[in-house]
Amino acid sequence: MTEKESKRGMKVIGVVLLVFAILVAPHEGEFWPFSIYPMFSQAGNPWTRAMILDVTDYEDEEIWKQRTIDDFIGDPVAVRSYGVDGIDLANFVSKTDRWTQERREALRSMFDLKVFNEKKWLVVKAKGHLAGQDSVAVDIIPWVLLTDEGTELNPNINRSEYMEVDKP
Amino acid sequence: MKWVEKIGHQLFEPNRNQSPGELIFFKIFELFILIYTIKYAWEWGIYTQLRNTEVVLPLGIANYIDISILFQWNLALINAAVITLLSSIAFTRMGYKWFYMVVMVLLHIQYVARFSQGEIPHSMNLIGMSVLCFAVGAIWFPGKKQMPRFVLGSIIFFIGLGYTSAFIAKLIGTGIYWFDGRHLWLWISEKSIDVYSSLGYYEPNILQELALTYLPVASIILLIGWFTELIGFTMWWKKLRPFTTTLLIGMHFGITLTMNIRFDSFVMQLILIGFPWYLLIDKYVKTTPKWVERLM
Repeated sequence: MTEKESKRGMKVIGVVLLVFAILVAPHEGEFWPFSIYPMFSQAGNPWTRAMILDVTDYEDEEIWKQRTIDDFIGDPVAVRSYGVDGIDLANFVSKTDRWTQERREALRSMFDLKVFNEKKWLVVKAKGHLAGQDSVAVDIIPWVLLTDEGTELNPNINRSEYMEVDKP
Repeated sequence: MKWVEKIGHQLFEPNRNQSPGELIFFKIFELFILIYTIKYAWEWGIYTQLRNTEVVLPLGIANYIDISILFQWNLALINAAVITLLSSIAFTRMGYKWFYMVVMVLLHIQYVARFSQGEIPHSMNLIGMSVLCFAVGAIWFPGKKQMPRFVLGSIIFFIGLGYTSAFIAKLIGTGIYWFDGRHLWLWISEKSIDVYSSLGYYEPNILQELALTYLPVASIILLIGWFTELIGFTMWWKKLRPFTTTLLIGMHFGITLTMNIRFDSFVMQLILIGFPWYLLIDKYVKTTPKWVERLM
């Protein structure tokens, strides 16, 4: 490579940077593979994730009770063993703000539907936040029950929470 | 000499003669990118075909077109096959010089189809940026004298920029107290749920236990990581590159241990690009093999 080509190389990088800026600016810093790498930039905020608990052996009144990470009931289902990415599941649950019939069925069809034969799988939201100065509290909120026959929503939660229109 | 030209000198080294080791290393690196491009294209394609039914989060071009079309008629798998074919031909230099650019566009479509479920992973970004640099290099810097220097130099530029950009994003997003160890507590507990969900069980490792028990340990872990991101751009300078790269690799191991996030291709690419491997190859190879010449 010559001196001239080196200068041209920097000009081309400049053009790519310009394209980079034009693409990421209106897309919250992300236009793959361009990224300003904003992950973990907003520290200290409460978070929401999700997991699935096998509650086949539990009664309805036990299933829908809000609990914590220290006393939740049911065995966590290893979703990876069903070919599902756990982070995908978490984002699917936490970022869905309108729990339409289609969205609930999409959650069920993430798994091979045959797995629900006689089983009851509870999709729970796990919500974490700083509790005081020296600990993290994690609440386990029952969200959707997946069974062979279909899906059920938590009767203790107001239906409006499943249909948030203006969620920020 | 302007500062831009000085950076260009560090990245492209215009006054250094090309050696057999450099060409051999370049083809090994290109093969690494090719393998990961094909691997991702199929992994994302198969997952999209099997699991995706609804678009939860439209990314990139999915903001403008209905990407759910790729969930049907095996289109994600067909896209993976086309990416495999075009990138393989581009590797052998038998096709048109814009093949890598088409691969870039198709890989972007494959990414936004796969990751339309809410997650925005970054562990594949370096492979994506590398494909882009190959695409730009193949079009504007074709030929064995220019392409290796431009491609490797521009990849190093964007890697360094990315880390420093991540530092700035944290400074803007949270402020100077970003390294407060309690923030790490929140992330460790958040990732523990992901591990529970994926594997069905979770046990904190020693580093996580230390960080969760002693606040200063958690703060120091964050501070070291944040400082390493800040100096990411110093890998633009040839003499500093191996040291910066070593720190960055250490930081990634730290993230894996504290937050259970793996960066396999990221780390492998840093190992390949951060050290002057061509000098080692030049010790043993004195002439460029014919098959390497043909593939340039």
